Amino acid sequence: MGRIAAHMREFFPFMGRDETDYFWSLRDVSFEVKPGEILGILGRNGSGKSTLLKILSGVTQPTTGRAELRGRVGSLLEVGTGFHPDLTGRENVFMSGVLLGLSRKEIAAKFDEIVDFSGIEQFIDVPVKRYSSGMYVRLAYAVASLLRSDILILDEVMAVGDAAFLEKSQKNIEKIANDGRTILFVSHNIHAIRSLCHTGMLLSKGQKVMQGEIEDVVSFYMRQLHGLGEKSQSDISDRAPLVNLEKADGWDGERPHTILQWVETCDGDGKPTRVFKTGDSISIRIGYKLDQEVDRSYFTVFFIDGLGDRVQVMYSLHDDGEIELGTSGVIECRINDLRLVSGEYSMTLDFGRVDHGHLKSIDWVPDATQMRVDLGDYLGPLGLRPNQGILAQRTKWQLLEKCMSYKNNEVKN
Amino acid sequence: MTDEIRVIERQKHFGFGIMEAASRMELLVMLSQRQIASRYRQMLLGVFWAALEPLGQLLMLTLVFGFLLKVDTGGYPYPLFAFAGLTAWWLFSRNLLAVAGCLQDNMGLISKVYFPRLILGLAASVKEIFDIAIMLVLLLVVAVVYGYIPGAKVVVLIPLLLFAGLLSLGLGLWLASLMVRFRDVRPMLGLILQAGMYASPILYSPALVPERLQFYYQLNPMYWVIELSRWGLLDKAVSITPSFYWSLLLSIGVIASGLLVFSATEKMAVDVQ
Repeated sequence: MGRIAAHMREFFPFMGRDETDYFWSLRDVSFEVKPGEILGILGRNGSGKSTLLKILSGVTQPTTGRAELRGRVGSLLEVGTGFHPDLTGRENVFMSGVLLGLSRKEIAAKFDEIVDFSGIEQFIDVPVKRYSSGMYVRLAYAVASLLRSDILILDEVMAVGDAAFLEKSQKNIEKIANDGRTILFVSHNIHAIRSLCHTGMLLSKGQKVMQGEIEDVVSFYMRQLHGLGEKSQSDISDRAPLVNLEKADGWDGERPHTILQWVETCDGDGKPTRVFKTGDSISIRIGYKLDQEVDRSYFTVFFIDGLGDRVQVMYSLHDDGEIELGTSGVIECRINDLRLVSGEYSMTLDFGRVDHGHLKSIDWVPDATQMRVDLGDYLGPLGLRPNQGILAQRTKWQLLEKCMSYKNNEVKN
Repeated sequence: MTDEIRVIERQKHFGFGIMEAASRMELLVMLSQRQIASRYRQMLLGVFWAALEPLGQLLMLTLVFGFLLKVDTGGYPYPLFAFAGLTAWWLFSRNLLAVAGCLQDNMGLISKVYFPRLILGLAASVKEIFDIAIMLVLLLVVAVVYGYIPGAKVVVLIPLLLFAGLLSLGLGLWLASLMVRFRDVRPMLGLILQAGMYASPILYSPALVPERLQFYYQLNPMYWVIELSRWGLLDKAVSITPSFYWSLLLSIGVIASGLLVFSATEKMAVDVQ
């Protein structure tokens, strides 16, 4: 009965509503985007990204608040909007264009470019239901990005198409921005966001958490996503290099076995520290306690970068010979030449055993400890610019001959 | 870059939404074309099928009501009598269904792009009127076959059918607004339409209705559309009673309020779907 009443109340405002019937999917989100700016909008599922874009494109109305948009808005909330399977590619191009608010004349002027960009000239007069999904999406994307609008809203469009098309559309997005048009970009693909956007905005539970340079926003978001939030607020070098893991949480919640007891990072001389330089020696010492004997066991250390990507993995199995563990002890993983570039890294530890050729984890501690690496002069005085790689490798370069003849013929062939 | 600034905020004024829809004329044309084309494209015999289904229905109704029950039509051949009434009714009922479902059926579209939603209803109506134009030609052929050569006043059928289209659009907009929230409306629609069909003088002559009920019976706008169609085509006598003006008033009320309600609810259609 209560459910029916609630159902009715939703439809008939006069039956009375109270504040708990409402859910604010967006609240206090104020921001400004300038012409030519590519704004990346980040946030977990349900943080209000799509609602925001829907409001800006006019699909739904805000309950309160106001947005001012200068120029025409082209939204590509989902590729292929308005495509009808029975109509040909050509007809659908016109259809979507008109849906986006252009006149037939404007579309006709752009038509060849669209077809060219999508790369499906041959099939333009075939009903789109006969298209492969890739062709479909390419055409749809070409329509939305080439038809001129001053503000372009892109929601998860990069999730489609092959690598070549992806690159093509990234270049196209950059071109659009250079033309002085504004782009709002939503994607769960962090790499696409980082490489495309200039600025970023982070939404969480319908509220704006942060807006700024894309690098800052992305790394803040990734830390939040991987639960690095609070720990990272104090400086890494201020924290003790020895971390007690007895109370640490596992992958989700409590760990079934507490084998990994503590972890400590040390430099080459065995002095505990959290700060390293690229090229340094580093020791990761793990204290363990076993409640029963485990044969064919292994330890693993993962290095995880600020974006949450695993950048390096070290298995004890990579080393020859099985180590007799006993019931408790300290095991050390030694890296003689640290390859990581500048940044803060988190370490995930794993202990388990090899079962029929598979690794079976027994105790797993994500984000067990953190360290900071400085590139220093490992790569010479010029160092490394951001976005230029995640590993530093010293290399040897030498001139083989001054006048090139070597392999010249083979190259030509 | 244009200097035009678009402001997005909660809309407070109410309107019919006609001007907004009219500003996207090209979209209306394309959507209607799309609907018409996608129906006839795949079916080489599209026009044939469009005609066959109603003709089959007409044949069955003739067998039951004309041949078995021998309904008194006032001397007109039953198939022609029924067909003249059915044409307008088909337009009304099909268009009502199409318009009523326009928001729900196009949810994929309207949750992605904004355009005046009224265009969806209008496009549905345009398509139904296109279909009925084929039927109208067929009706004239049947009339000639039975020896009723239509006079000049047959043109009255065109405004009559347009009126039926407009009326069903108005009613359909009401239902579309309701349907977004109450899915229950859709299964009820079939029943309501069936009731409407028997409440209109389609299969029988209105003379069968008792005199004391005639006033209320004639409040049904479709009564006038159908009877006036027969007047235009078959020269069947029809007398304009006070009910005519009341039903006209009623129709205008339905159409206007349908537009108003629809333009108020279309804004939240995506949210409550």
